[in-house]
Amino acid sequence: MSIAVGDPIPAVPERPMRVRAHVPRSQRVLLTVARHAVLLALAAMFALPLLFMLLQSVMPIEQAKTTALWPDRFAWGNYGEVFDRVPLARYFVNTLLVCVLSTIGTVISCVPVAYAFSHLRWRGRTTVFVLVLSTMMLPYQVLFVSQYEIFTSLGWINSILPLTVPAFFANAFSIFLLRQFFLTLAPDVLDAVRVDGASEFGVLTRVVIPMAKPGIMAVAIFQFLFSWSDFFGPNIYLSDDDSLTLAVGLVRLNTALVKTGESNLTMAASVVFVLPILVLFFFAQKVFIEGVTLTGTKG
Amino acid sequence: MATDALVLQRRHSARSRAAWRRRGIVLAFLSPWLIGFAVFIAYPVVNSLYWSFTIKHYGQPARWVGLSNYGLLLDNPGLMLALRNTAYLAIVGLPIRLFIAVLCASLLARPRRGNGSYRLLFYVPSVVPAVASGALFFFLLQQGGPIASLLEVFGIEAPLWFRDPAWAKPALIMVGTWALGDVMLIFLAGIVDIPRSLYEAIELDGAGRWARFRHVTLPMVSPVIFFTLLTGMIGVLQAFDQAYVFSQGARAGRLTGEPDGALLTYAMLQLRYFQDGRIGFAAAMAWVMFLLTLVITGLMLASRRRWVHTAVGEK
Repeated sequence: MSIAVGDPIPAVPERPMRVRAHVPRSQRVLLTVARHAVLLALAAMFALPLLFMLLQSVMPIEQAKTTALWPDRFAWGNYGEVFDRVPLARYFVNTLLVCVLSTIGTVISCVPVAYAFSHLRWRGRTTVFVLVLSTMMLPYQVLFVSQYEIFTSLGWINSILPLTVPAFFANAFSIFLLRQFFLTLAPDVLDAVRVDGASEFGVLTRVVIPMAKPGIMAVAIFQFLFSWSDFFGPNIYLSDDDSLTLAVGLVRLNTALVKTGESNLTMAASVVFVLPILVLFFFAQKVFIEGVTLTGTKG
Repeated sequence: MATDALVLQRRHSARSRAAWRRRGIVLAFLSPWLIGFAVFIAYPVVNSLYWSFTIKHYGQPARWVGLSNYGLLLDNPGLMLALRNTAYLAIVGLPIRLFIAVLCASLLARPRRGNGSYRLLFYVPSVVPAVASGALFFFLLQQGGPIASLLEVFGIEAPLWFRDPAWAKPALIMVGTWALGDVMLIFLAGIVDIPRSLYEAIELDGAGRWARFRHVTLPMVSPVIFFTLLTGMIGVLQAFDQAYVFSQGARAGRLTGEPDGALLTYAMLQLRYFQDGRIGFAAAMAWVMFLLTLVITGLMLASRRRWVHTAVGEK
């Protein structure tokens, strides 16, 4: 696992020994110790919150209201209880539905658009691409005020439609990311296929998509993660208790349980919300990391 | 001769037909974005701009009032509070986040045993959904919560994060800093890209650790610092999720009570007006946010030449 994370970042050769030799041995040992001390402190800072979340989620209620950090016994029943109290299973299904549909929508709509911006030649391509990128500057606030009226007039409030249908009409970030991946494919290869009589659609489906699979995976995973985590949109469009996603359900639960002090139940719901994402991350970490790095370095 | 002209004409029309076909293909490939842009971006942008000059409630026609929404905005005490909170998050929060991200990245840039695991561990919090980390830190920081217990071990009395206005925003900054993994990764990629020859050259001049960092690492990653600062600023302007979770929880708790709007962000204020049905006002707020984004981006781009290093051959 540790090697996999290191993979996408190319190895840096060690400094040559002659330079190293200037540093006295005792000082080097000291530096190594200091480095590990800092790293361990940082590791604790990053890991402890998640550990506390897990521990609190199995804390018996009488202990949850005290300052206890470690549960006397593991109250796994907390999970059953939180599923009983709120329709968490329903939220889970709603969230999954939103994520799967918007991921499919994003991929099938953005792939052809990104292809047009990378391997089709046409006048005004750069100008239109700049327009695409500039839409990323628009705060969602400017859009939702008016989108809300559209969705209301269509009768889409309290359904997953406002959260999934727009995904089928491409978004700037995914277009940008896919284009970056597509540009790494040599145009000569595509030309060779065209000479053989393939249509542009054929080139896209038979050459570009198979070759750019990692890029498409990255875009799919980012969209899935975004939809899973999104709170602002679902919070506006969903209010019926049965229509909520996990993000909205969790915030409501958190607010409702502040008074009773049942933070163990809030944390159990948080684990249900976070665990699928962590599992996804562990299976697809390479894709994640390549994607993040690409948005940063080529931005 | 006549046949020549005919052949030419036919060839010409064939060429123009092919050109139209190509245009059709391009349009077909672009169509998802074109439709989406028209319906979900262009129309809402124009519409909300229009509404920002009107009094508007859903289901009723908008009534033109000129600039009065913008005038009211200037007089709104909530706005100044929200902008002050935003400035605090930008001026205090962003540098802390970037500094720790650079620290993590430079500690982990070289391939050493264990570094892969550290990278993985440091990155994980940034995939945790924002509202989940909000709920998590709301629990961690509560009175008698784990952080208070840990501080007690060191004999420090924990502040009342959600009761004391002075501590509410630091709590917000803590959650943001916890999730710095993506920034760290971007820095890592930037540091790894620095050519070894630069370090070797400066080492021949007898430079120490600090000089290496100051004169090689820092200038070489300055484009990355610029990028993360820019996206960070835009993110701070739109800050919502965790501030919302904190303030909802704090208000529900009563025993804590939202401390003097210390958690009020601009996006929260805008949502409040939207939910009160004052759509024209909410639209004006959204447009001010957009203009602020443009101004900040413009200022940062203008300042770029002064401090961002560009290598020879780059634009």
